[in-house]
Amino acid sequence: MMDILPLIQNETLKIWKKKRFYVILLILLVLIPLFTYAQMRMAQTNADNFKDWRNQIQQQITDLQNTLASDRMPEEWKKYDRIKVQQLQYYLDHDVNPNSPDAATFTRQFMASSVSLFFPLLILALASDLVSGERTSGTIKMLLTRPVKRWKILFSKLIALTLYVSLAIITTGAVCYLVSGLVFGYGGWTMPVFTGFVINSGSIDVSGVHPVPQWQFVIMQSGLIWVSCMTIAILALMVSVLLRSTAASIVTMMAAVISGSILAGMASSWETAKYIFSVNIDLTDYLEGTPPPIAGMDIVFSLSVLGVWMLGALIVSFGVFTKQDILN
Amino acid sequence: MIPSGKLWRVLGTTALASTLILGGGFAYAMHDLLVVTPAAQQTEQAPVKEVKSGGNFQQAEEIRVTALGDSLTKGAGDNSGRGYVKTVLERLGEETGKPVQQINNLAVNGLTAAELDEMLRTDKGLEYPIREANLILLTIGGNDLFRPVLEAREDGGSGDIDIEEIEATIPSAADSLRSVIKKIRQINPDATLVYTGLYNPFYDIPELREGSAAVQQWNDEAYEILGSDEHAVLVPIMDLFQQRAADYIASDQFHPNQQGYQRIAQRIIQALT
Repeated sequence: MMDILPLIQNETLKIWKKKRFYVILLILLVLIPLFTYAQMRMAQTNADNFKDWRNQIQQQITDLQNTLASDRMPEEWKKYDRIKVQQLQYYLDHDVNPNSPDAATFTRQFMASSVSLFFPLLILALASDLVSGERTSGTIKMLLTRPVKRWKILFSKLIALTLYVSLAIITTGAVCYLVSGLVFGYGGWTMPVFTGFVINSGSIDVSGVHPVPQWQFVIMQSGLIWVSCMTIAILALMVSVLLRSTAASIVTMMAAVISGSILAGMASSWETAKYIFSVNIDLTDYLEGTPPPIAGMDIVFSLSVLGVWMLGALIVSFGVFTKQDILN
Repeated sequence: MIPSGKLWRVLGTTALASTLILGGGFAYAMHDLLVVTPAAQQTEQAPVKEVKSGGNFQQAEEIRVTALGDSLTKGAGDNSGRGYVKTVLERLGEETGKPVQQINNLAVNGLTAAELDEMLRTDKGLEYPIREANLILLTIGGNDLFRPVLEAREDGGSGDIDIEEIEATIPSAADSLRSVIKKIRQINPDATLVYTGLYNPFYDIPELREGSAAVQQWNDEAYEILGSDEHAVLVPIMDLFQQRAADYIASDQFHPNQQGYQRIAQRIIQALT
């Protein structure tokens, strides 16, 4: 078993030398200041229009109530707004500002909104050419003629990928915090965030709601993001085993992820869609109490769906990789 | 170029540590979602922040306005989206020379007096903006009286609206208004309260012209409810929408249009300055 460690080391260094991680870092360093600036402008507008965050939240509630009063809105959309109103009300009643402008809050909100598209994109940048890249460059022959079992090679790639997924998530959080802190100040870690909203078909049960300090919330959130990202990573690894071209494998995975997020927005009437992995990757929603895209989904269900997809992808990847002939 | 061995050690440890943190985070999240949440007790209600009452705007340094009520306060029908509230704020600033700030516009389209009463009872968040204000703008009642007409009109009919039906809604709506005013006064006893009366939006329809009598009856009720309150004022606007109703009513045949709102604002300014 000890002979696998050098393999992992080798794969980890290979990914590093491909400079993919620099690309991710660069994307983060461009995007996050952009969002920070947008957030700053928003905070300024709010400060101009409202004396106090309470008034701003109250106005948000009233605006939602006005949307709810409109007959033009379909009933299933109103459900989301109704739940949002109740949550905002809860924050207001407990005198806690859900949008307090500080670096920790910015980090929490950025990470939560990144889970459905931005993180998968970063992961695909790392994972999509793990195997197909070796084919394109021809190094796969060298790799497979070494006296090492094939499954060990794929396994070491998987471990290296896992390490980079973790690194990417932590780096995103760190860059978020450091950059936005320049503008908003580095506080906010102990601010209470409410979690435990339970959604039952259109209404919300607040009996389980409890505050957790924001640092704890961010860690829990990151853990859930990690599971979503690992699902994407393992599926991307599978696609990379199956397809020869890296471009094709990126496109395939992107299509799956994007169609998932579109489906999540419109599939409430198509119930079977809840078995698609990309409809389930917004795990952080369960922490925040956002209603799931399809009624009846909960954290256990989503994790099971993701688990089945991961397991299937692993079986296919290892099965194909250990058996297939290398022809070209 | 960093030597591979060193790079691996740094990279490996950092990544492993990250993985452990994230794995721990995941375990913690599962614990929170599956164990803590079902077991959690209702958390203690945080003490509501004490806010000093806004006082009366005539003496105040700064005019702070909270508007609440129905679509008139929201500004429905005004293509510029300003409604009467924004104009009142501007003109008030010009007339008094004091800074004017809108705390909140809490109006909801289609709200009835009974619904507003219920909102004030259950929605504790409303207390804060109402308490802070020294000028409160309120319109309510139109939906109580005219909703039957509007609903009938949506169903196709328009001619045979029963005036008595409109009149029959007045007593219970008036009770709700009384309760609304009482609740506002419990929260903020000193602020100047401007209640803008109703007008007859159907003056142009001959069969509904007598509706004006019902509207007048409502306004009388409102006057009586506000009567004993020294900081409250009822602004009548019924006459503004009679002679040239078509020019001041929006295309929905119910709400005022931009010019209509201008004229309402004018009245309110006259009443306040």
